[in-house]
Amino acid sequence: MLVENVRLLDRLSPKRSRPGTLYLTATHTIFVEESSSVGSRSESWVLHSLVSSVEKLSSSAAGCPLVVRCKNFQVLHFGIPREQDCQDVYLSLLRLSQPESYEELYCFSYKPNTDERERQQEWELVDLQAEYNRMGLAGSLWKLSSVNQHYKVSDTYPADLFVPESATPPVIVGSSKFRSRGRFPTLSYYCRETHAAICRSSQPLSGFSARCLEDEQMLEAILRSNPRSDFMYVVDTRPKLNAIANRAAGKGYENEDNYANIKFQFIGIENIHVMRNSQQKMLEVSELRSPSMSDFLEGLENSGWLKHIKAVLDASVFIAKAVAEEGVSVLVHCSDGWDRTAQVCSAAAVLLDPYYRTLRGFMVLIEKDWISFGHKFSHRCNHQVGDPKEASPVIDQLLECVWQLTEQFPCAFEFNERLLITIHSHVYSCQYGNFVGNSQRERAELGLRKRTHSLWSYIWDNHSDYINPLYRPGHSQTQGLLRPSTAPYCFKFWRGLYNRFDQGMHPRQSVEDYLSAIQEETQQLEEQLASHKQKIAQLEQEQVWGGVGQRGAAACERSPTAWAPSHSLGLANTPQDYTGGFMTSSPLQSRPFAPPTSSDQSCETCLSTGSDQESGIADVSCRSPLSEDSSRDPDSDEAASSEPV
Amino acid sequence: MASPVSVYNSNAMDTRISSTSRDSLKMELLADVSLLPGEDRITDKDIIYICPFNGAVKGKVLITNYRLYFKSSEADVVVILDVPLGAISRVEKMGGASSRGENSYGLDITCKDMRNLRFALKQEGHSRRDIFELLFRYAFPLSHSLPLFPYVTQEKFEESGWTVFTPIEELRRQGLPTNKWRFTLVNKNYELCDTYPTLLAVPYECRDEDLKRVATFRSRGRIPVLSWIHRENQAVIVRCSQPLVGMSGKRNKDDERYLDLIREANDTVKLTIFDARPSVNAVANKATGGGYEGDEYQNAELVFLDIQNIHVMRESLKKLKDIVYPNVEESHWLSSLESTHWLEHVKMVLSGAIQVADKVSNGNSVLVHCSDGWDRTAQLTSLSMLMLDSHYRTLRGFQVLIEKEWISFGHKFASRIGHGDKNHADQDRSPIFVQFIDCVWQMTKQFPTAFEFNERLLLTILDHLYSCRFGTFLYNCESARDQNEVRMKTVSLWALVNSKRESYLNPFYTPESGRVLYPVASMRHLELWVAYYIRWNPRIRQQQSPVEQRYLELLALRDEYLKKLEELQRSDSSPSSRLANSSSSSATSPSTPSQQYTHLQTPL
Repeated sequence: MLVENVRLLDRLSPKRSRPGTLYLTATHTIFVEESSSVGSRSESWVLHSLVSSVEKLSSSAAGCPLVVRCKNFQVLHFGIPREQDCQDVYLSLLRLSQPESYEELYCFSYKPNTDERERQQEWELVDLQAEYNRMGLAGSLWKLSSVNQHYKVSDTYPADLFVPESATPPVIVGSSKFRSRGRFPTLSYYCRETHAAICRSSQPLSGFSARCLEDEQMLEAILRSNPRSDFMYVVDTRPKLNAIANRAAGKGYENEDNYANIKFQFIGIENIHVMRNSQQKMLEVSELRSPSMSDFLEGLENSGWLKHIKAVLDASVFIAKAVAEEGVSVLVHCSDGWDRTAQVCSAAAVLLDPYYRTLRGFMVLIEKDWISFGHKFSHRCNHQVGDPKEASPVIDQLLECVWQLTEQFPCAFEFNERLLITIHSHVYSCQYGNFVGNSQRERAELGLRKRTHSLWSYIWDNHSDYINPLYRPGHSQTQGLLRPSTAPYCFKFWRGLYNRFDQGMHPRQSVEDYLSAIQEETQQLEEQLASHKQKIAQLEQEQVWGGVGQRGAAACERSPTAWAPSHSLGLANTPQDYTGGFMTSSPLQSRPFAPPTSSDQSCETCLSTGSDQESGIADVSCRSPLSEDSSRDPDSDEAASSEPV
Repeated sequence: MASPVSVYNSNAMDTRISSTSRDSLKMELLADVSLLPGEDRITDKDIIYICPFNGAVKGKVLITNYRLYFKSSEADVVVILDVPLGAISRVEKMGGASSRGENSYGLDITCKDMRNLRFALKQEGHSRRDIFELLFRYAFPLSHSLPLFPYVTQEKFEESGWTVFTPIEELRRQGLPTNKWRFTLVNKNYELCDTYPTLLAVPYECRDEDLKRVATFRSRGRIPVLSWIHRENQAVIVRCSQPLVGMSGKRNKDDERYLDLIREANDTVKLTIFDARPSVNAVANKATGGGYEGDEYQNAELVFLDIQNIHVMRESLKKLKDIVYPNVEESHWLSSLESTHWLEHVKMVLSGAIQVADKVSNGNSVLVHCSDGWDRTAQLTSLSMLMLDSHYRTLRGFQVLIEKEWISFGHKFASRIGHGDKNHADQDRSPIFVQFIDCVWQMTKQFPTAFEFNERLLLTILDHLYSCRFGTFLYNCESARDQNEVRMKTVSLWALVNSKRESYLNPFYTPESGRVLYPVASMRHLELWVAYYIRWNPRIRQQQSPVEQRYLELLALRDEYLKKLEELQRSDSSPSSRLANSSSSSATSPSTPSQQYTHLQTPL
């Protein structure tokens, strides 16, 4: 489907609009801008699966306005000349953005150019078995249980689970019958140093007075798996009132009198409905065109969003401290144990273990605590048409918690904001199979590993894009437990996610870009140094052996590969790289200042291809990636709205 | 010759808390206080500091003619307070001889720099009266006919900071005079306007007699004069005070003609007059003989920028202090912050300056004024010049900017800050300059590579705005400074700054001339300057920006590698020439390190 003469309106300054043509394909909405100059054709592609709502506004002289809101917070405002076209686009988008079955999801039609063997390998990148080994469960009082093979005990749990060594299958099964949806207490994280563990489950079916001997034995077994401690915490992440209300429905929380040696604790994180509404309010604030001080700050405060983020982090800090400082195991649950529990377990793990603050570790963490433990991604993210009351930004909150931590501890994370935003996008996009479905069992039935691609492998292949240049593995901040401040003024509005598509709203200069550039330069110098040393060694050898010039030439041809950056992305290692390589090793074109050009005459030809685009020395405008933006169009940013009329 | 005391002042005034060994405490507590040359001990006394963060701390206080210094005598925590007396706004007695309760008898000190100090004393023996009187006397020397400390200090620096700015040089740097703009010394003896500098740049065609007639129609004779000229398009920023229109709507042909001359100087179609005030205030000023330019100014358009007056700003900062000191408001942080309106005011000032800069860079001359043209006007002209002219974004250029737009054009520092004056409730006091520095900080946050100086410079400037260690911010205008021989008898803050340049440099700085910076004055981008307003709170991590630290490390590493490469190349020189001969066909021999060195010089 194709509609011509469509205008794409700038959200911040509706006066500015770009004419173009709108295409609807099976998978994407594409807007192709009419360009005055050749070569500057600009296109906007929006996946149908990312569309969260389509709204037709009342038509005006300028045409019929259509507002498309996306799950990645992009808002597109189209002006379509003919009412009928608008209606057609509207209806088509409504249909296309709400698949009725899994089979319609984009991941099943997304076919990048890789062969089947490579595709299979993609899924081997993140290996949970290896992760449990890494935690050090080998010599511990925990064992791998086969009780949930074929999802017999709990159909929303993974097949492979770790349980206390002393927990026998009858105890596990008995306990599972006393827990919502059979989600019995099982291991999420084991701390090798203190032997304390974070365990997770759903709420007990205790009602007002019910007991379950096996469940009590299960908790005792968990306590015994940490021989150094004589009690354990049971953390109910719900507000107390909610937990009490659940008792009326035959559910509820653990009675301290029935369970030996537990300390029970409520940590009030609100439910998915409160979070959904809160995010909605927060997004309304972020969409304001030019908010006044009170619109913005009061709107943000009234949305409660940052307060909820703080609640999740507060709970995580409590658990992390219990495990790392007190050496006490913690059982975490909420109602079903797949929303708040997943948030808190994974955020606590990030605080506890530096591994989860690395790129690979973070992917593993999401795979473990969210995907394998049955966070209901397809329901929460509205992957297909379904109950809107099931949708909730639970994973958004985890990503934001981590972002807030990266703001407080800029050197502690190997990955950058871009990783968090990329994961966020693809949680919703359904381009990769990782987040499709609601449980491991469902994913197995859909054959996702056989039919789709993995986001983790995409990220790993492009990992230089996701590296935080500030990360310092050896830094004190990077070691051990992170102790964030959770005072309210420490929580910031995440402009980078919620306003990421609003150009002109972001800082025009990023010191991180400078850092990356200088880091890269240093690294290249280091490599160059190594190659020089190698060459000297060879020359010395040559002198010793009285060798011929042939060898010297060979050394020269070999050397480029010797220092080719490990992360260079399939860039040719031609001999020219030896000097021109400064230019070709970066995947980013828009570096603030690129490493130097060489004046070596003999290499002029290769430089002419590399230096012009990339050398910041030659081209001042490259120095700040968005410098062209700052030659300000009076309409281009919010300040303009305060201009006199 | 005395060497300058090298303390990073905002740090030195900081409350430092660290554990220390008992041994060091056995020594005389106050023996190691390093005083400035010319600083004299007045008194010392055992005292209890009621620390809002750690509770009561026993120790000793030292009062000199420059500072109040406190050091705890307790073993476990060391608390040091180092407060220049200039930062003190108010000293009060707390409790009476009969008051009961622990530590209820003592002194309450209100500071100008966002904190309060409370000390408790023993009730017996008039001990409080003595210290109160001495503190009162030396904190407010002007109220006791004592000289200000800058006239007493013996501090010497290699470079006198007073040469940083000379009006003629700065105007010449801008490319003046031109055939449209000339210099005039009509104000040589401050006859035309006693709050202006002596050298002024005015339209070429305007004679000195005309200027005098214009002066009669502008509040306090502050006639429109050139602040800045755009080199390419010749558009100018002109500053002045409000016209004396009054209730009857008086006109002045000379003033109207004068504004038209400004417009004609670069063929601007319409001269834009930015009145910094809200229009209501501008109208209200008519009642006291002031006002704004009306329709009689034919080729001008008037724009009100809605910036509130000094009283509103003072109350706003006071409210901000209430929510951040000593404890940061927690339960409703965002709405409390909102209720101070401080960020809203910062936003209005910044967006006003953006509009000025935008007009000028588009080739339109502008006239900026408020009521007297020394508060909001100074904010707007200096911020827009900072956006337009990269020179002012250098360490030296920024000093020039402050000297020029604030000091020489008569921002009433003495009245706004109240140096050495005991009248803490004086309605003339207002944090206009603090607000300006806050705006600059907001810009540095948005353009981290555009400024040669760093946050530390801004903090240092604000510390010495109050400290009374230097003559820089003393008095209201040039005529008063001349009278009191400030430049002869005192040391300039810039002497200190320029003697340790490195510590004020921003490693990310990348000089780029000719680029106009337009910060985003939106609520999503303006932040509370925590490192200034909440810096006394020990919970705020006082760390060097990790980004900056990492960058410096990498720069050092790069230089190290470069050096090693060069060494290698040197030791390698003879074999490498052989190599070049033997394998010249491969055309891959690297450029020599020296060549590379020059190319690796990133513009920092």
